[in-house]
Amino acid sequence: MSERSAHMSVMTSSAPRVRRMTLRRRRQVAGFLFALPAIALVVGFIGVPIGQAVYYSFTQWNGLTSTWIGPSTWAQAFHNSNLWTALENNALLLLAVPFALGLPLGIAVLLHQRVAGWRIFRSIYFLPTAISWVVLGLVAERFFAYQGTLNSIIHALGFSHVNTNMLGYESTALSALGITFVFTMIGTNTMLFLTGLATLDPSLEEAARIDGAGSWRIFRSITLPHLSRFIQLAFVMTVIALFSALFSLIFVMTGGGPGYATTTMEFLIYQTGFNQGDFGTAALYGLILFVLTGIVGVVQLRLIGSNE
Amino acid sequence: MAEITFDGVTKIFGDDIRAVDELSLHVADGEFMVLVGPSGCGKTTALRMLAGLEDITSGSLSIGGAVVNNVLPKDRDVAMVFQNYALYPHMSVEKNIGFALKIRGDSKSEIKRKVGEAAAILHLTDYLERRPKALSGGQRQRVAMGRAIVRSPQAFLMDEPLSNLDAQLRVEMRLEIARIQRILGVATVYVTHDQVEAMTMGDRVAVLRAGKLQQVDTPQDLYDHPANEFVAGFMGSPPMNLVRCHVRPGDDRVEVDFGDQTIELPWHYTSSHELPASGLDVVVGVRPEDVIITDASSPNTIKTRVERREALGAEILVHLSHLDSSADALANEQGALRDISRRSSLVAKMGPRVQVAVGDVLSVQISPEHAHFFDATTGVTLRKRKP
Amino acid sequence: MTTLMTPPKESDSSNKSTRPSRASRSKVGRWVLFFAMMVIAVVMLYPFWVMIVTSLKSEAQFLAGQGFSWLSWKNLSATIPIGQEVLSSTIVCSASILIILVVGLPAGFAFSKLRFRTSTAVFLVIVSAMMVPLQAILMPEFVNVTKLGLTGGYFGAILVYAALGTPFSVFLFTTYFRGVPDELIEAGIVDGLSYFGALWRLVVPIAIPAIATVTVLQFIQIWDDLLVGLLFIQNTSERPITVGLAVLAAGRTTSIPELMAGSIISALPAMVVYLGFQRYLVKGLTMGIDR
Repeated sequence: MSERSAHMSVMTSSAPRVRRMTLRRRRQVAGFLFALPAIALVVGFIGVPIGQAVYYSFTQWNGLTSTWIGPSTWAQAFHNSNLWTALENNALLLLAVPFALGLPLGIAVLLHQRVAGWRIFRSIYFLPTAISWVVLGLVAERFFAYQGTLNSIIHALGFSHVNTNMLGYESTALSALGITFVFTMIGTNTMLFLTGLATLDPSLEEAARIDGAGSWRIFRSITLPHLSRFIQLAFVMTVIALFSALFSLIFVMTGGGPGYATTTMEFLIYQTGFNQGDFGTAALYGLILFVLTGIVGVVQLRLIGSNE
Repeated sequence: MAEITFDGVTKIFGDDIRAVDELSLHVADGEFMVLVGPSGCGKTTALRMLAGLEDITSGSLSIGGAVVNNVLPKDRDVAMVFQNYALYPHMSVEKNIGFALKIRGDSKSEIKRKVGEAAAILHLTDYLERRPKALSGGQRQRVAMGRAIVRSPQAFLMDEPLSNLDAQLRVEMRLEIARIQRILGVATVYVTHDQVEAMTMGDRVAVLRAGKLQQVDTPQDLYDHPANEFVAGFMGSPPMNLVRCHVRPGDDRVEVDFGDQTIELPWHYTSSHELPASGLDVVVGVRPEDVIITDASSPNTIKTRVERREALGAEILVHLSHLDSSADALANEQGALRDISRRSSLVAKMGPRVQVAVGDVLSVQISPEHAHFFDATTGVTLRKRKP
Repeated sequence: MTTLMTPPKESDSSNKSTRPSRASRSKVGRWVLFFAMMVIAVVMLYPFWVMIVTSLKSEAQFLAGQGFSWLSWKNLSATIPIGQEVLSSTIVCSASILIILVVGLPAGFAFSKLRFRTSTAVFLVIVSAMMVPLQAILMPEFVNVTKLGLTGGYFGAILVYAALGTPFSVFLFTTYFRGVPDELIEAGIVDGLSYFGALWRLVVPIAIPAIATVTVLQFIQIWDDLLVGLLFIQNTSERPITVGLAVLAAGRTTSIPELMAGSIISALPAMVVYLGFQRYLVKGLTMGIDR
């Protein structure tokens, strides 16, 4: 009813004052108001902390009181061997990325052959993706443990005197973490590649076959180029996960150890802040991580941008 | 129900793109007004300004006497039919038609009654439960119509509502929409690029070009007395022949040169038209149906050659080039190329039984009462006032 | 196993006949393929096998490496407050997702249909926030939320999850709404809707598939997350299940069979959602590059 009476007033009298805004202006105001909660949330909980991190990185900070130190905090931080260890661990873990992309690519190509029952296989392959990395970490710990599955397999293969304990040694713990990481990424990346393969026009492959190309040639010249965007996206997602999603695995499997053998940047931030109470340095490390992922993020944005 | 007035309405996109330029147009209550013109002429922009989907840069727009420049669409009480129908995909036909009523706050029983009536008019009664996805193109179009008529609004706005239908359905819906509009008597602004729709549906037709209004008239007046070359060429299919000629108004007749051939037109043109006195170039317009074949012995004929022939079943379009000595000379010179078509300068519409073949030489006459004269530089008609 | 030899029954059979690659053309090749897929399936199912088998032992049986019993399942609720933790996870998940949707839908509508002067720039800023890992801003975030007094109950974690999920949802909804014709919204406006009405009565119902995608992805993300729950829910009695498990596991004093039983319970909801809504997930993951 109120809308009707408002309508009547418009028809009889000249437009009231509130109605003076142009339609375009009104649309823009509505748009801004609609976007405002999202802007507020993102600015408040992501934007502002970035600024704060920059400030606090120059201070000594325990969470309650901060003392301005200045740029020397940065110089000091880069002299900290733990930082370099963590960066090195991150760099070494990058070696897992080819596997985290290559294996899913192979699996996706297998699935794409659509052998009987491929749909069931697909569901099975994707299933671990639903599980928390906390749980996968727990399982991985069982796998690598002294009495775990890995040793059982080795024994079953006849090497009964060999006993591994990969998580127990500084030399092997990071590899174990990397292997677990590859496993956790298989589902997501396979899903990506399979979607990519599904968009491949089968007549292209047909034509190439008629032209006398072999399977490998077709894969190299047709399938891979077609998948390039999907591979790029998977690469970016994998690297970002590597920098920022290993926390659960490390927390459950190694706690960063032995020593600092499996302490990556993100875990170092957590440890520095919450175990050592050095919030200032942790904030500084956070910024370093921010820059690292930012570089990857720019690639990602360009990927998205190239689509619009 | 209400009248609609555009008063010097202008729309400028960005800095300098004048989509609609000083449009002044009055649509009477109950009138069916068609806005027609080529794509990009501003007709849709004009309609969107009327709907309240686009701001008016300057000028004033009123519905029912009230200026609505800054009135929200929902307060304008106009209903719009979109080109792609814009049916709400998540609602049944019944909900689609009744949606505006529901928003308005009509009671459930009233909505049901009105939707039922609208559906009956549009033969949609059996489809009320369906989703738009499950409808044919023609049915969707009807639902879009139903959504508009159920509201009994001040005005109907229709944006090329038939352009997505196949040819046969389009003819059917053309009549249907005109019929419904007449029953409801609601002022309607109908945008189309199809001059056949414009001719058959509108009480009056407004022709736009590049944002500027060219002419508003009844379809017949528009056809018979186009205000300028553009309207002359736009309305009618095939379009009016427009030939640049030398014209010499005399005491008892008007002489018109087609190349080096001359014909005479009745003297009354000199009084009804402002023909240049001293024999200057003007553009002479002749509708294809006013080009008449006669035998060579008749006076006042032009010798032409048939260059192309299009049989359309009910009629034959004959493309003619007028033969003059220079053209003949050219043809002779080129010898073997003689039979290659030259650019035709006249199109004639003839009965289906007329025997003509490409290469025939025909004598044609111009229907003496139906010649049009336009200024060769401005394109504006030289006719003085509407008779 | 005889069905293995018949070509897979697919609706697009014409496609099928032209498509098999060389490997799948020969019988031997197909067996090799199938075998490879079985091996991969075994590997991928390994975690579930470990969880189930281990949970069906008592601690003693686990250490001895043989025997089965329901003991760990029976003792589970004594070791892990599983009911409370599942409830906490549910509350945190639902509330966060609700905020993500309530905030993301209007923003997506605004960035796609109601563009304002700086909307493109603002959109890009929000989308780039997708790339900011929580760890990078962990310290200030933690201190801010603590100062607001929100780390006691669920609110802090809910807000942080909502903020982290919003950029993605804004991106997804904006992309989705760009595919909705402008005319549809305009029709609603002419029919008498306000912009809010258009959002609530047209845009939201049309966006159901996109809403499903966001919900499923965020559910799995939040349900499975450790870091936020660990730090922003200080009250141990309000811990989500994933955090509860991780803390016990890191403590290394809890019986492993019982941990595995808890893991199964924690994994079930996400798996159910996952299997039920697989296609929405794929859609969300490839949003923007899958055309």
